[in-house]
Amino acid sequence: MKILTTVKKVVDVELNIHVENGAIVEKGLQYVINAWDENAVEAAVQLKEANKAETTLVSLGSGDNTDIIRKCYAMGIDNAIHIDDPALAKADSPTFAKVLQKVYEAGDYDLVIAGKQAQDTDAGQAGIMLGEFLGIPCVSNVIEIKVTDDTHIQVSRLGDAGTEIVDVTLPAVITVSDSINEPRLPAMRGIMMAKKKKITVMDLAGLGTSVEEIGGTAPTSGIVEFMPTQKRKGGQKFEGDPAEITAQVVQLLVNEAKVL
Amino acid sequence: MSPLFMTLVLAVGLAIFGRTMYQRILLLMALEPADRFNHIKDRLKNMVVIALGQKRLVGRKKERASGIMHALIFWGFCVLLIRSITLYGEGYVHGFQLPLLGESSILGYLYLTLKDVMEGIVLIMVIYAFYRRMVVKPPRLHNTWEAYLVLGLIGVLMVSDLLYDGARFMLITAHGNPGDLHYFNNPTFGQEFLWTPVTIAAGNVISGFSPVGLERVMVLMFWVHIITQLTFLNLLPLGKHFHVITSLPNVFLKHLGYPHEKIKLLDLEDESVWEDETLGVNHLHQLNWKQGLDLYTCTECGRCKEVCPTYVTDKPLNLHDFNDTLKAELYANADNLILRAKLAKTLTGDAEADAKTKEKMAVFKPEKALVGEVIALDTLWACTTCRACEQVCPVTIEHVPRIIALRQGQTLMQGEYPEELNTAFKGLERNGNPWGIGYDKRADWAEGLDVKLMADHPDAEYLLWVGCAGSFDDRTQKVSKALVKILKAAGVDFAILGTEEKCTGDFARRAGNEMMYQMMATENIEVLNSYKVKKIIAACPHCLNTLKHDYPQMGGHYEVIHHTDFINQLITDGKIRVKKSLAGVLTYHDPCYLGRYNEIYDAPRSILGGLSNQGLSELPRHGTESFCCGAGGGRMWMEETIGTRINVERSKEIVAEKAETVAVGCPFCLTMIEDGMKELDKDEQVKTRDIAELVAEHLA
Repeated sequence: MKILTTVKKVVDVELNIHVENGAIVEKGLQYVINAWDENAVEAAVQLKEANKAETTLVSLGSGDNTDIIRKCYAMGIDNAIHIDDPALAKADSPTFAKVLQKVYEAGDYDLVIAGKQAQDTDAGQAGIMLGEFLGIPCVSNVIEIKVTDDTHIQVSRLGDAGTEIVDVTLPAVITVSDSINEPRLPAMRGIMMAKKKKITVMDLAGLGTSVEEIGGTAPTSGIVEFMPTQKRKGGQKFEGDPAEITAQVVQLLVNEAKVL
Repeated sequence: MSPLFMTLVLAVGLAIFGRTMYQRILLLMALEPADRFNHIKDRLKNMVVIALGQKRLVGRKKERASGIMHALIFWGFCVLLIRSITLYGEGYVHGFQLPLLGESSILGYLYLTLKDVMEGIVLIMVIYAFYRRMVVKPPRLHNTWEAYLVLGLIGVLMVSDLLYDGARFMLITAHGNPGDLHYFNNPTFGQEFLWTPVTIAAGNVISGFSPVGLERVMVLMFWVHIITQLTFLNLLPLGKHFHVITSLPNVFLKHLGYPHEKIKLLDLEDESVWEDETLGVNHLHQLNWKQGLDLYTCTECGRCKEVCPTYVTDKPLNLHDFNDTLKAELYANADNLILRAKLAKTLTGDAEADAKTKEKMAVFKPEKALVGEVIALDTLWACTTCRACEQVCPVTIEHVPRIIALRQGQTLMQGEYPEELNTAFKGLERNGNPWGIGYDKRADWAEGLDVKLMADHPDAEYLLWVGCAGSFDDRTQKVSKALVKILKAAGVDFAILGTEEKCTGDFARRAGNEMMYQMMATENIEVLNSYKVKKIIAACPHCLNTLKHDYPQMGGHYEVIHHTDFINQLITDGKIRVKKSLAGVLTYHDPCYLGRYNEIYDAPRSILGGLSNQGLSELPRHGTESFCCGAGGGRMWMEETIGTRINVERSKEIVAEKAETVAVGCPFCLTMIEDGMKELDKDEQVKTRDIAELVAEHLA
């Protein structure tokens, strides 16, 4: 089985993100692998360990992703491709999906595993669109994968009402939830040894496509403006005799908050 | 007596002993190098105080009786060593005397008395030792046949020598010396027996024997003594009594300057180390020879486990078993290790030629994996690196560096470590703190306190190193704020690094993650050196220890001062004044990295003594023998699922002392003990406070 797994480098959301004049302040930001994609990589490596699969990682972006790719190698990925093109700097979900489609078509994959969404945009579309563009089955929010045979897998999907168990014909795309696994922290040795592993870097032309073909010149959506989240106002403290305070609070709830 | 028989006995005894020792030394030489031959003067001093002086045996109040017992047996043996030489001489020459110790000098007579009395004392001590093992049964001792055998042999040595002399005494004084035996008889000092009361007593025991019987007893006891002694000598290297031979060298070779061998700064850039698995200790041959000698020397006295926070809370780490297991593995693989080392010497540096040699070397790999099969994972990861074991070890075994080196092998090479550490490592990597909180929030605690940043005030006299806990942990932030209040009250010129500060890497290093440690250290040192920082105040003993002792290895040289030392100095200098108004029972918990690692015991006590209106009351386990809170060595970031909880054990001790306030000087201790109190539902009665908080509250 050949597995393609996708990763995106995103802003570390643990940090305070500052917005000035409708744009994110770049200073002080740091970038990390998208957490859900880490789950996808882990899922791919686990399938490989259990079923003799070959795993290929594709990372998209504009710029160097060597650090995160090396870690994925250390986790156990076999091959890595990085599509590095300035045209991808402001790409939206359909554009990413189109590039992934090209990568998929250039290989001979049986299964695509992607994170269900990216931490930066939380769109959750690229994986599903990829399935649509390729005309192959897609299951989202997967929490378990079992290989039935060469042409079928059975996945558990976290639905609103409970867990759905879905039989999927390969090739297929699945997007995984973060509860599917706990990504391993690769051994230091693995990271150091991964330095020697080759990363295939190509731009859109190298992939046999162009900005026009993937719709990058006229994206279907774009960010107009960022706005900082409103800080929550501090609560109000009341001290003193409980009977007096109760009356005071009730009065405020009726007249000011107008909730009673 | 009989030169021929003596020669035969000596030849056999010494040949076998020589062969065993040769093998033992070859095995040590097959291990990794260690530099332990510098500063001879300091080493000799250690040897005199700790080994010859039996400091750690006699010096501990709790163990004084057994300590004195051991010291007397040891000193007795030292005295008897000279006597033995005389006896071997007697085998060849009748009336053999050592120069200076012959009958012409008072020294000879004094020595006779000393030897005589010591033999009596050793005999009594042996009886006491039997009594201890069979009746008292201290829990730290495990009774083995070897222990009894050796005690028995010592007893036989004493009895045989005393009876030998006793028989001589009877023959000479009561029977007119029929065999014309030699004895000291200087006109000034008189007959030798006037100087040997114990011998006279022994003679009286066999006074009923006829002259022929006495002669037979004398000859028999002579040979029993000689043969027992040679048997004893040959038994020593086979078991735990090897320490009789190796203790003195082991103490002489102990690490100097820092309490134990510093963690080796590993070269992580060298690609071959990753391929050859040469980082940390993954295999037996990666132990260094001093670590091997430590294993030879372990006496299995069990003092280490008795003070070990993990052992007393039922974790699987039992240090004397740990040593014993490693030693057994070392012996079992001795031949292979020696052959492997021979091959290793032929490595040329030429990759192609070496590949074949390495292939041959691989054949000599032990059957069992060092960690996982010889040493269990839970055992290795239990250690809190608190050093209580090393502090009490009478023969100065360095347990902790060996454990950290084994962890390095696991973390760097095998990727095998407690899963919980992942989160902390990831936090460190991304945001420079084990909580993984955004690095940009590091100085949020100081908002509104008007604390200067180094970036704005690079000439500050002191850098206040806040640490991750002081920056991110809600509870410890209060300590940071209190410290700022004190520094401001004293008019100290200080600044913080703010978001430029990162975790020092302490816990990563002690969990074996040298790579993460070096990442943190490199970045911190770069920042510190760019500001030309000279003096650092740290409120966390782990930060202090790393900044002070680890960073110099990487080019970071600073004067690092713990906040308790600094505050104490401020009080002494009159820069701040405190009120003696702290009410209730106050006690102090010594943090391991402050006390045992950095020998700061007095400053905290001096401050607390000045605050409390009823004085500081000490915990049963305090000072050098303080009991760990359970958070060191990366344990703060691991689950404690085996046995009972270390922090609760310590909290119980504090509660039992009826303390109302327990002062600490470490953010980890603060968290652990406060949690322990909550667990015991005593957090209302017993308040856990950092010394800085107490001082800030009682500023005059």
